[in-house]
Amino acid sequence: MTAMKLKALLFAVVTAVCVHRLASVAGAALAAPANSQLGAQIVATGTQKGSVACARCHGFDGASDGSGAFPVLAGQSADYLAAQLRRFASGQRQNALMESIAKGLTDDELLSVTQYYSAARPVSSVTRQATSNQVTVGQRIALVGNLNTRVQACVSCHGPYGTGEPPTIPYLSGQYRHYIEVQLQMFRRGYRKSSQMLGVGHNLTADEAAAVAAYFDQLPLPSTQ
Amino acid sequence: MPQKLKEVDVVCIGVGFAGSILAKELAASGLTVVGLERGRERHSVPDFQAPAIHDELKYSVRKAFMQDVVREAMTFRNHRNEVALPMRQWEGFLPGTGLGGAGVHWNGQSWRYQATEFIYKTHLEQRYGRKFIDPDLRIQDWGVSYQELEPYYDKFEYLIGAGGKAGNLNGQIHSDGNFFESPRAREYPNPPMKEQYAGALFRKAALELGYHPFIQPSANMTRPYTNPEGMTLNPCVYCGFCERFGCEQFAKASPQTVILPKLRELSNFQLRTEAHVLRINLDSTGKKATSVSYMDAQGREFEQPASLILVTAFILNNIRMLLLSGIGRPYDPVTEKGVVGRNYAYQTQSYVPVFMGEDVHLNSYMAAGASGTVIDDFSVDNFDHGPLGFIGGGYILCGSTNARPIEFHPTPPGTPRWGGKWKEAVRRHYNHTTIFNLSGNSTSARQNYADLDPTYRDAWGLPLLRITFDFPDNDVRMSRHVTAKASEIARRMGAKIVVNEPRTKPYTTTAYQSTHNTGGTVMGNDPAISVVNRYCQSWDVPNVFVVGASNYPQNSSYNPTLTLGALIYWTADALKTRYLKRPGPLA
Repeated sequence: MTAMKLKALLFAVVTAVCVHRLASVAGAALAAPANSQLGAQIVATGTQKGSVACARCHGFDGASDGSGAFPVLAGQSADYLAAQLRRFASGQRQNALMESIAKGLTDDELLSVTQYYSAARPVSSVTRQATSNQVTVGQRIALVGNLNTRVQACVSCHGPYGTGEPPTIPYLSGQYRHYIEVQLQMFRRGYRKSSQMLGVGHNLTADEAAAVAAYFDQLPLPSTQ
Repeated sequence: MPQKLKEVDVVCIGVGFAGSILAKELAASGLTVVGLERGRERHSVPDFQAPAIHDELKYSVRKAFMQDVVREAMTFRNHRNEVALPMRQWEGFLPGTGLGGAGVHWNGQSWRYQATEFIYKTHLEQRYGRKFIDPDLRIQDWGVSYQELEPYYDKFEYLIGAGGKAGNLNGQIHSDGNFFESPRAREYPNPPMKEQYAGALFRKAALELGYHPFIQPSANMTRPYTNPEGMTLNPCVYCGFCERFGCEQFAKASPQTVILPKLRELSNFQLRTEAHVLRINLDSTGKKATSVSYMDAQGREFEQPASLILVTAFILNNIRMLLLSGIGRPYDPVTEKGVVGRNYAYQTQSYVPVFMGEDVHLNSYMAAGASGTVIDDFSVDNFDHGPLGFIGGGYILCGSTNARPIEFHPTPPGTPRWGGKWKEAVRRHYNHTTIFNLSGNSTSARQNYADLDPTYRDAWGLPLLRITFDFPDNDVRMSRHVTAKASEIARRMGAKIVVNEPRTKPYTTTAYQSTHNTGGTVMGNDPAISVVNRYCQSWDVPNVFVVGASNYPQNSSYNPTLTLGALIYWTADALKTRYLKRPGPLA
């Protein structure tokens, strides 16, 4: 090959490598078309490194088992889910169960499962129980806030009717009430760190937290609206 | 027949920052205080909640939080030989109304004035000589020093949870703060705001040019904060709906978030909203105020007797209140006799639109009211004016407070003003453009003043305030110099297009510049050229105190609110430790 052609080939190869590396970097930062096969596989059977199958707790449809111990993941922003997994892995968000699972995921695996659940839709609906008084009180706090306890309306950040503001703010509508209540406690006590939710966690009374949780619980999931 | 009410110790005319804080300080000492607010009650919940508050059309374009021009406007002219006409629409400046006043819709930019500004006349004459200053200018010393006010600046900063980095801590200079600031006793209560991308580019260019960039001090909370009154605020979310809007997050320092709820817990304080004060009534000697007359929303008139009256209604309303009440002699620009309305000033703003390349994504909509990177190298007297032939200066701020969809659509010069090509240019430049904001001194001049209009009246039949103002030539020269410096920084940033837009004459009220009006009830040690003494007490009627930016002898480069905060606490102290013990003239 001539020197020119060699140079051209070298240039082409280097460019191709650079573009590929750029693409994978871009893939980590943005929602890239993930490996849906890999995602489904990990959800069903876990990873080779030993991360337990996600479906065991979160279900295949992302609606979990209805107990409220595990959140609904179906339709949640993939970027939000990815951020949470990274926080579990680093310990910034404290959760003994999720920490080792998240740590065991490679970048590709992490992106794949988050894409899976982001696209998932619940197959069965779980009956939600709440007193109508709780829902009324909760609705007022969620949509308007509470001046006396200095709590801003949840929808100020969590979107209209709590449908979320992707990529950073999760939806609340259709989330399990028990899960929401526990998370509010986690924010209040500092186990889950958020300078925005700290004030809310502190200012909501236990009754108000239950009411707000009840309100959002009985709303439909954003993906079904 | 006006109904005469039971006498109280104190009346505050206007319940914004000044009214709330003074009412709290005095009510907490045991006095009976009535706060009269012409506007409505409003609170963080429900009035400032999102998404309703993020309505740019309602609040920014149609100015929902501002005074209703149909009921009360102001008249304006550039010169005495013109006929002043009413402002039918607020553009140049935006007088607010409602509980909390401007503290609800301000941006939160939190600047102290410099020590030399309180002795500005003395200082400039010493440095440059009396002849250096243009003959039409009327600069005065304040009668109170920075050193006296320092503890009160501190108190106000801790009330509002100001976020910043000290540049001069007891004489020790810290390069991550403002290199030029006057000494402060302790650090800010909160850390500085996050730097925006445009600000980071500005910082780099400014450093290369030898300037001293730092993060602008802010009253948008930078972390969860509980102030000395026990009020808790949340961190700002950089939503870009600050100026002209209320804050849904309890993150902006406003009377509602820093003090009002504590004030309203006091049983000896009473708030009356939609109480429109018509005048302060004086006794037959004209040297003692006896009561305040006001009208409620139903048009019923009341007389509220009080021993002490605090005029805390915002600079423009303060001037007008004294004129309508016959307190102090009105200023005559021809004879230069009289004081009320004298030394009215504004703010000499200019802008430099900076169009970066399309590969530079600024995301300017991630903005807070006081976020920004700034240099103070060209403000007030921070540089040698000797070879330049003007006084004063301005800070150069690179910070986005918003990139809201209706009003933020910068296009380079030469772009058609409408149509397909305009839309294309807006789309092309929206996310790659920032606009430097230069805030400059407004120097008082003999020809600029405020008085009562001879023709136009408000809905209550009272004459409107008339403003006669144009930029003094000095300030135009200053703006030309400082704006050119700003453009240099923009070019150093690698901008593709830089538009150098210094402020020029004539001043027009038809385009927004700033709501920083000052003067008209100037403070000082000489009653011949001031309306209130160094304790903000009227020379003519000792039981009337005026606390507002109307007391400023001239306007600084810097935003006025923090200095007003210092004056508020300074006056509260004077009232509690001096006046109440022995009512009468304090100076």
